[in-house]
Amino acid sequence: MKIAGALTALLLLNGCAAAPDLRDTRSASAPSHALLDAVPFHPQTDYQCGPAALAMALQASGADASVETLIPQVFLPGREGSVQPEMTAAPRRHGRISYPVGGELSNLLEQIDAGHPVIVLQNLSLPIYPLWHYAVVVGYDLDAGALILHSGTEARRRVPLGTFDKTWARGKRWAMVALPPEELPAGIGPLAALAAIHDFERVAGPAATLPAWVTATERWPDASNGWFARGNAHYATGDRDAAHAAFTAAVHADAAHAPAWINLGTLYEELGAPERARRALETAAAIDGPWQAVATDALARLRTDPAPAPLE
Amino acid sequence: MKSSITRLVASAVILTFVLGSVPFAPAHAGMIQTADVFDDRARIHAVLDREDVRAQLEQHGVSLADAKSRVAALSDSEARQMADQLENMPAGAADVVGVLFTIFIILLVTDLLGLTSVFPFTRR
Repeated sequence: MKIAGALTALLLLNGCAAAPDLRDTRSASAPSHALLDAVPFHPQTDYQCGPAALAMALQASGADASVETLIPQVFLPGREGSVQPEMTAAPRRHGRISYPVGGELSNLLEQIDAGHPVIVLQNLSLPIYPLWHYAVVVGYDLDAGALILHSGTEARRRVPLGTFDKTWARGKRWAMVALPPEELPAGIGPLAALAAIHDFERVAGPAATLPAWVTATERWPDASNGWFARGNAHYATGDRDAAHAAFTAAVHADAAHAPAWINLGTLYEELGAPERARRALETAAAIDGPWQAVATDALARLRTDPAPAPLE
Repeated sequence: MKSSITRLVASAVILTFVLGSVPFAPAHAGMIQTADVFDDRARIHAVLDREDVRAQLEQHGVSLADAKSRVAALSDSEARQMADQLENMPAGAADVVGVLFTIFIILLVTDLLGLTSVFPFTRR
């Protein structure tokens, strides 16, 4: 009975076993094969594929992070493995930003095309007896229908696309890249990118993060939150002129960005331009939402504080 | 009795939702921080999550010093995920040696069918 069940399960699984053909979904000019030669390989020891995969991706991005350094940063002895949130968190301690990668095979290929190796989570086995595994995608060969992985103890292991896709799907298609602050992954949207950069800034601080905000606002000039965050990073690193320009860009991108108006007002006040400060804060106070009270308080304070000596 | 417990639980849930939805507003006037706009959860929850995660990491054999710096590297939402479901999270590890014999046979077949990728010798 059990055997019959297992066989049925196998047949069902086999029913969706057709290998995906990626050539249809890619533009005619896209290459059919690629290999990132420069990604170093570190064979995993014991259960430590997580630290090994991170070391490969981080070193490929130019960070100096050894497997030995990463083991106490991500390995969980009690689970004999590493969990995804910590895989995402650890690169921040090495000056690298972790970005999520979409769950399509084509998303992996576009990262490779952009020169970025991708860390993936696979369940090499079946859900009843999972074998969770981190590997690094370093290339592909669509003519041979294979993905090329630094995996376990084998460098440049060629895995059939169909097999990889199933093992990846059992890991809920989790994938990430770790990049230096001045680079963004291919194909990411502004929301996900800005959130990832902000998570990095909490750990690494505004000075290290500024290049990422600059790159993000260049790529998405309409994303007001990007300008707002960039303005704060400029301000925190003592560049009020650049902060002013960024907050101004934020309210140009979104005239209803109350926090940007409030910070613009506070900045004007500090620069000794109380009239401009008042106008900015009044604009913020007129925008419905959670920031209205903050803007109103700032306005009241501006009216009661003795005006500083004007610079203008 | 039952209904009073239900009411108690309901009010606790509602309170949690209300607290969770109140945006963090600075007590003093001044620059609004990026985190005040980007993170929509109340800070108190994030602090509790982090303390919880640190304790869990220690239970799993991480030293106190390492646990502290590991927690510090997490974002609020990562800390929340860890606090809620660390036990159920897949922990990437893959070591093939421990596979039992019956499982071995099943996985051998699925490997040969290209459904799994457990054993090195089935590679095509």
